Amino acid sequence: MHNYELVIIIHPDLDDEAIEQSLDRIKGWITAGDGSIDKIDKWGKRRLSYQIQKQNEGIYYLLDVSMLPTSIAELERNLTILEPVMRYMIVAKK
Amino acid sequence: MAEVTNRSAGNGSSEQRPKRRFNTRYVRKPRYCQFCSDKTLVINYKNTTVLRKLTTEEGKIRPRRQTGTCAKHQRAVAREIKRARHIALLPFTGGTWEEKIR
Repeated sequence: MHNYELVIIIHPDLDDEAIEQSLDRIKGWITAGDGSIDKIDKWGKRRLSYQIQKQNEGIYYLLDVSMLPTSIAELERNLTILEPVMRYMIVAKK
Repeated sequence: MAEVTNRSAGNGSSEQRPKRRFNTRYVRKPRYCQFCSDKTLVINYKNTTVLRKLTTEEGKIRPRRQTGTCAKHQRAVAREIKRARHIALLPFTGGTWEEKIR
């Protein structure tokens, strides 16, 4: 098990219910790969430094995750497919 | 003998002139790495207030010769700035230009 930080930027026009739904899906993927979520940090709506998908704002979430390195690729592939996620980043924690 | 007297006269005139020491126009500032001296300062992509100081107005990473960071920390700074750019916490280019438009 390794510790990772996962930052996701969700589309700002989504309502709370849809955000919850997509977050649940992400959590599902992490736990399905034998991982666990240690912390969820909501940064809220922030102004982007540059436009992403023609949006000036985004809803930021920071997840502290511990999961197997082999299941990272699978999670990345799923995140690219998930539509409300505008941008994501997975960083290994020291 | 004549030559010797001439030289001593020349020396006398040069002593009156202020002596030039190397290049006086350029004074080097003492260098120190702000991250080495302050261990509590963490270089992290989430810490944009620190990273913003290490970028130019156009969003470029400022060179070591301007900021005084050591090589080890400069590598960390570059890595974290690139991470921050990816998640749109820092601009790739033209930070101030866009702010003026808004």
